[in-house]
Amino acid sequence: MDAGLLAQHVMNGLMLGMMYSLVAVGFTLFFGVLDVIKFSHGDVLMVGAFAALAAYTALAGQALSPWLMLLAILAAAVVAMGLLGMAIAQAFVLPLRTAPALNTLLITLMLGTALREAVRLFYPQGANPKPFPALLPKASIDMGQFNLRADNAIMFAAGILSIVALQLFLKHTKLGLAIRAVAQDEETARTMGINFTMVVLITFGIGSALAAFAGVMNGLYYNEINFGMGLLLGVIGFSAAIVGGLGSIYGAILGGFLFAALQTIGAVAVPFASAYKDVFAFGVVILIMTIKPTGLIREKISERV
Amino acid sequence: MAREQGKRASILPGAAVLAVVTAYVIAILGADKQNTILILFGAGAAVVVLAGLFGLLKPIGRSFAAHETAFNWLAILAMLLIAGVFREEHFVLLLLVTLMLYAVAALGLTIQFGYAGVVNFAGASFFGIGAYTSAVLTVHTALPHLAIIFLGGVTAALAGAILLPPILRTSGHYAAVVTIAFALLFRSFIEVNDVLGGPQGLHLPGMQVFGWSFNDNITVGRWDISFYMSYFLLSLALLIFAFGLVQRLERSWIGLNFDALRLDETAASCFGIGVARWKAVAFLLGNMLIGFAGAVSGMVAGFVAPSNYTFADSLILVSILLLGGIGNAWGAIVATAFVVIVPEKLQTIQEYRFLLYAVMVILVLLFQPEGLLPRPVRRYFQS
Amino acid sequence: MTNVAPAPLLQVEGLTKTFGGVLALDALALSAGSGEVVGLIGPNGSGKTTFFNVTTGIYKPDAGSIVFKGKNLAGASPQTIHRAGISRTFQRSRLSLPLSIFDNIMIGAHTRRFNGLVFNLVCRGAFKHEYERMVEAARALLKVFEPELTDRLFEPVMGLPMIDRRRIEICRALISEPSLLFLDEPSAGMTHEETHALMDNILRVRAVHSSLAIVIVEHQMGVIERITDRCAVLNFGRKIAEGTYREVAGNAEVQEAYLGAEL
Repeated sequence: MDAGLLAQHVMNGLMLGMMYSLVAVGFTLFFGVLDVIKFSHGDVLMVGAFAALAAYTALAGQALSPWLMLLAILAAAVVAMGLLGMAIAQAFVLPLRTAPALNTLLITLMLGTALREAVRLFYPQGANPKPFPALLPKASIDMGQFNLRADNAIMFAAGILSIVALQLFLKHTKLGLAIRAVAQDEETARTMGINFTMVVLITFGIGSALAAFAGVMNGLYYNEINFGMGLLLGVIGFSAAIVGGLGSIYGAILGGFLFAALQTIGAVAVPFASAYKDVFAFGVVILIMTIKPTGLIREKISERV
Repeated sequence: MAREQGKRASILPGAAVLAVVTAYVIAILGADKQNTILILFGAGAAVVVLAGLFGLLKPIGRSFAAHETAFNWLAILAMLLIAGVFREEHFVLLLLVTLMLYAVAALGLTIQFGYAGVVNFAGASFFGIGAYTSAVLTVHTALPHLAIIFLGGVTAALAGAILLPPILRTSGHYAAVVTIAFALLFRSFIEVNDVLGGPQGLHLPGMQVFGWSFNDNITVGRWDISFYMSYFLLSLALLIFAFGLVQRLERSWIGLNFDALRLDETAASCFGIGVARWKAVAFLLGNMLIGFAGAVSGMVAGFVAPSNYTFADSLILVSILLLGGIGNAWGAIVATAFVVIVPEKLQTIQEYRFLLYAVMVILVLLFQPEGLLPRPVRRYFQS
Repeated sequence: MTNVAPAPLLQVEGLTKTFGGVLALDALALSAGSGEVVGLIGPNGSGKTTFFNVTTGIYKPDAGSIVFKGKNLAGASPQTIHRAGISRTFQRSRLSLPLSIFDNIMIGAHTRRFNGLVFNLVCRGAFKHEYERMVEAARALLKVFEPELTDRLFEPVMGLPMIDRRRIEICRALISEPSLLFLDEPSAGMTHEETHALMDNILRVRAVHSSLAIVIVEHQMGVIERITDRCAVLNFGRKIAEGTYREVAGNAEVQEAYLGAEL
């Protein structure tokens, strides 16, 4: 294989990895503060992408510059999903705190179905794949046989920026400290006067906003979104979070890129079977669960007998 | 509770309710006009709610429990009566067949999820494995069709066995994601696999048992009977088998072992209960039942296609369990009847059914987590 | 070590367990002979429950041996250890609340019931026979604790008061007729009177099964004083004293370990 094609695959893998990582970080944040898995996460991502598309449709007559337009729809998606995430936590996740953990899983799974179906049924022609506007510059730098596309580079940089920003927020702000305190030890955090409910809501808001960001990125990258896209991204993002050891942000990012790498290698190694790429991806999920069910970075021991 | 043990509840309340329900189901299945159907559904819901408010449900439940064997036979009789009324109606019989096969699958899931607590979000996939097995074997082999149905269940169980290592090594969320990944993998696989017909799926000929062709209409004396009657009887037999199996499982030490490991794995293992062993038994048995049902459904429909075995369908199976009351076999059957019949009769709902069920399950989980018909405490034998 | 006494029922040597760098058990040695009641005391977090969890196989020890009836069980599965004859209760009651009293006790009888698929599903006559024997066994055991409960065998445990739940938990541990019973804080969550009544029950069990060895973790020193033959005191995973309750209670190091705590 020539170097140019290889570089193309690497770029593709990096983009995929960035999206998976953003989803996985959300799962890790939720698990950190509440020890729950929110299975509707992938569908929140999808709704985020549709929210951005709706904002685009609404603003289409305003003759905004592409950059301004991008910022506007990104802001719309991020804010809307942040609020949706908080609402989900408040209405569906927090009330089930005392119920078996499985109930939280079930309710968010059903919530994901409801979101998916709502978009399919109520978004205009929601059952069909929708074209997503290409708002980033189409320029590319020719490097031998490899084209470095500006839009890809910008998206990747933006993804890294958002993760760095999240880290800075968690490390250096009071609120971030509160989130980490709750993740460490909920009871102690409560006795220290931390508003637990508030921390949970904000964490769900942030995680869902990240999902919206990933959703917009997904739309820009593939120039198309559909109501079912969240399912695949959710499952892979969750698996990535598990591979990285639920609860660790670096682990989640590592897991995201690992998954993308495996998928890309699979596509390169067996190009004739490209139709099986999803089969391969889910096969890897199952395989990893078989080999290393608790993740590559060990999960904290939580059960007290 | 102890007070009631002295005198046995009368059979009359239960018998009356069964008669009314049978008549009601016949009315619903026979109704054509959307308005009539809507009124019937409304009336049914109102009667149940009122009966609940006036505290009538408990005595009825006691009556059923006290005369269990009698009511099991009466329920079979009621099903036969309903089928007799609609003997010429292809559509109604097909609906009843679908209902019963889904009920068998829901019972399979009851063993796994309801008893042993092994989550399975790939129920529709195992149903599909049964169906595809029957399609491939009827087209490519000369095996007798009843044997093929059996093999459909065995194949589903074996396919499930592949998932056992990750499921046994993990629990809760992890096992859930394994089965979800499998559901998505299966759908994707049959969609792109040319040997299995790709998105169009496969066609298969009608069923034949001992030279009797299931796809011929039947004439008995002056009666013309829909060819679906053969499938109806087969499905009813399968449902009776599945129900008997599930009930005996529950009323045995095995059901107790399942409960023990579902409720507290650590405690169960401290009393010598082999957690992995019983989880494996539950998962394999459950998938086998689901595979049986899938194999029959493939033969009934005459074709199998990927769009029938999606993740959304798997979620419907789980919804049936949650709505009916996890671990309650009768609850699973009643909930299946609701989930299958309502969207078929109310055309306006058809399109919205996934959304409707999702919302209903969310409400149940929030306000009545043990389901609409909670599972009663185990009795090993009828008192 | 002397070589006169016969080997005790349970002989634990050098048992070590760490959790993420914290030493929960530090080369612990403990023995219990047939018919002996051994108390395990020590401040919170001193490793008492960890000792139970390691000896019953929930956690694997990092080092050390657990010789029970002459066989080393260190690292064996909880199932194997239970089958060898060790049974237990849990600090936080771990009954299956939606299940009936009978079902809960039967969970403990796993080794006494026949679990074959064909036997359970097909041979219902034989199953019924065994079931009736089990009902009798459960009734007989329950009678030692609270005769009233024998009439409520098929009621869910959910609605019962704490003391009855403790009784059922002990019945669940005893129905398998173990040689060694671990009781993890049986008095937790009960009033003084209830604790007293439960101890009467345990003493009665002891009188009936004279060879049963019991290791009991308990915070209420009155309980320890009343029912144990011998006590071991743990602190930071180490055994700091051993002897009769009176000897141990007078030990300076023990008093220091408990400084501020109840004694």
